[in-house]
Amino acid sequence: MSETTLGGIAGRMPKFLRRADPAVVTAFACIVILLLLGSLYSRSFLSPEYLLQQLKVASFLGVIATGMMLVILLGQIDLSVPWSVATGAMMACAAAAYGPVGVALAIPFGVLCGVAIGIVNGIGVAYLRIPSMIITLATNAVAQGLMVVYTGGFSPQDSATAAMRYLATGFTIPGVPNAVIIWALIGAAMVFVLTRTSFGRAVYGIGNRERAAYLSGIDTRRIVLIAFAVSGGLSAFGGVLLAGYASKAAQSMGDAYLLPSIAAVVLGGTSILGGRGSYLGTVAGVILITLLQSILSVMQMPEAGRQIIYGVVIVAMLLLYGRAPASR
Amino acid sequence: MDAATPLFRMEGISKRYGGVRALEKADLTVTAGGIHAILGENGAGKSTLIKIMAGVVAPDEGTMTLDGREVSFASPAAANQAGIVCIFQELSLIPELSVADNIVISDPPKRFGMIDRKAQRRIAEEALARAGASDIHPRALVKDLPLSRRQMVEIAKALARKPRILILDEATSALTAADVAKVFEVLKRLRSEGLALLYISHRMNEIAELADHCTVFRNGRNVASYPAGSKSDNEVVELMIGREYSHIFPPKPGPTAAATTVLEARNLSWADRLDNISLSVKAGEVVGLGGLDGQGQRELLLAFFGVLRGLSGEILIDGKPVSIASPTAASHGRIGMALIPEDRKTEGLMLPMTVRENLSFAALDRLSKAGIIDRAAEQRLIDDMVGLLAIKTAGLDIPVGALSGGNQQKVVIAKWLMRQPRIILLNDPTRGIDVGTKQELYQLMRKLADAGAAILFYSTDYDELIGCCDRVLVLYDGAVKRELVGAEITEHALIASALNIHGEGAGPRQGAGA
Repeated sequence: MSETTLGGIAGRMPKFLRRADPAVVTAFACIVILLLLGSLYSRSFLSPEYLLQQLKVASFLGVIATGMMLVILLGQIDLSVPWSVATGAMMACAAAAYGPVGVALAIPFGVLCGVAIGIVNGIGVAYLRIPSMIITLATNAVAQGLMVVYTGGFSPQDSATAAMRYLATGFTIPGVPNAVIIWALIGAAMVFVLTRTSFGRAVYGIGNRERAAYLSGIDTRRIVLIAFAVSGGLSAFGGVLLAGYASKAAQSMGDAYLLPSIAAVVLGGTSILGGRGSYLGTVAGVILITLLQSILSVMQMPEAGRQIIYGVVIVAMLLLYGRAPASR
Repeated sequence: MDAATPLFRMEGISKRYGGVRALEKADLTVTAGGIHAILGENGAGKSTLIKIMAGVVAPDEGTMTLDGREVSFASPAAANQAGIVCIFQELSLIPELSVADNIVISDPPKRFGMIDRKAQRRIAEEALARAGASDIHPRALVKDLPLSRRQMVEIAKALARKPRILILDEATSALTAADVAKVFEVLKRLRSEGLALLYISHRMNEIAELADHCTVFRNGRNVASYPAGSKSDNEVVELMIGREYSHIFPPKPGPTAAATTVLEARNLSWADRLDNISLSVKAGEVVGLGGLDGQGQRELLLAFFGVLRGLSGEILIDGKPVSIASPTAASHGRIGMALIPEDRKTEGLMLPMTVRENLSFAALDRLSKAGIIDRAAEQRLIDDMVGLLAIKTAGLDIPVGALSGGNQQKVVIAKWLMRQPRIILLNDPTRGIDVGTKQELYQLMRKLADAGAAILFYSTDYDELIGCCDRVLVLYDGAVKRELVGAEITEHALIASALNIHGEGAGPRQGAGA
């Protein structure tokens, strides 16, 4: 039913839209619908200030979802996002306590901690053949344990460096938050990697048919390892930005990013089985998720209702995409 | 035998898979109290025939009668109900369950809706005893049993369904000699109990010992039916051949003594699938691998390509020993090997990805600088390949899955030719593609060999081996049983050595098979 209507609409659309992935088009259409519905409630939903603010909030999720997308394209999943985020934030803040050198190295150190988590994930998945759902959940638990030991279970007292705060909240270009610029740069890099490099081709190949990729002489294990390391690093970088945004790290600050990052990638039309999806879709998914959360909270929906609507919308959209004809 | 009324009869059965004709107006008559052997080459239609009997696939046309009444089976369960039970080649047991659980799995005895374990055990014990395997404990887990014992459980499982017609498809291929003898006793007893048995095997000696009646299949039709023992092995082999030569093969250049050996194997063994294989392939030579399906040919190719772990023996490239740890190592650097895999849909291609992406996938390292793909170079090489192989596609940016089978196979080959390999391993590359494309591939293969490539070519089609190869190695049970050179490569010699029999007139080198 929905397929036929979608097809009918597609037939009347301009050429460049017809060539686009229907899932991406649907996601962008949903963003527009959400904004229009929101504007019925309050005119301010269409104001530039509100939209820019949402884009800034979305960029944290965007950075994290970029790494998640890489892993999902392989047909794997990274469930260590929550404590990769928290580890990145806490370690960056912790480094800041060690004098000027620590302050200078805070951001790279935080990101490197995330890369380390990712490498453990990657070794587990690629070389030890542990299902990613298990190994990433395990590293998440270990990272949580290590952070609790380090902080004693309280919110760490170290605060974010000026550089972290500048990246998250500052303005290099007037009117455009730095966080948005960072997301744009990371996104552009990801688009380039996915479409123009042999690494990107290999990622799609492995996601479609790992056996065929392996028999084509691709070092599949190395590719998987790198993808998980990148995912860990980007999660931690997301954590660094969040710490800069809030001026400090906090326990379980990453918990709110696991489901949204997976949902953003999948809502953007990336197949959860791997091998298919575009970064543009992930951008749409991230904005969609962020807007949905924001509008529900502005409408002062009680927390329970928000969770229910949030979940139902995700399931409904996935059902809609499930109608796409499979080519496998 | 002819006096007895037929228990089961198939008439005019046809079945097509896409454009491929698997069965064409085949007939078969099965009588109670007899063992009926079915013979035929790979792809002669035997498997399709028994799948239709067992209700796994439905025939396109034709009738089946059981006890004189017309029947049709919607599912294997319906066939079981009617008393037709099949023991398939692949084991169908669930390893984590007990022997008794497996035996009654489709219809367990129940009390108050729960499985009656006592009754289950009784049924299992009876079935095992009937299968001559009462030494297997019904409570043992299937995964703890060795392969030959599992096969006995499989037979017991079939017997527990109280069949009137029992089909055994290569059911003895995994058994030891002692077990085979035991199974034969059981089968003979079942025959005296009035069951009809349908026996499919490639082992001629087994058929000679067991069968009352034989039917030979060729090209999807039953070409001969005769009482066992009335024809010699050689006559049977002749019945199994006898196809018209429909392919045109390029001329062979004849032996070139000067060429150097590029690929060599010494005493390759792997698990129980490869047994001490030694061979060599020279530059410019097409060496065929023959034999029945599943005698280790695939494993041999995978071994060369660095896929198998725990390989013993030596692989030499250009006379120097090398260790090939992965397909990456095999295809990169100075080894320059390519493998055209068996199943293009799962091993050769990424079907949802575009023709372009698939074509350049194996050569990404050559097409990119610092990891960034040089699009112009990619386009040039792809254009060359599409021209060279005459790949018919509506464009380079459509999913490769939208192409026809023959063109998909061309893409698989082209993606490897982009690396300009020196050693090309082909695993049954013409399976399921049309005759026209086959011919193009034969020409291409010869062209590559003339340009200096060393080619190792496995095919299940004997005509191809005869038409394309300078030498053919026939494998049986993981070992090279015979080497046929030049004019020795005849269909007769190929089939005889594939069945591991050394009949008179099997070739110029009479009885000289290794």
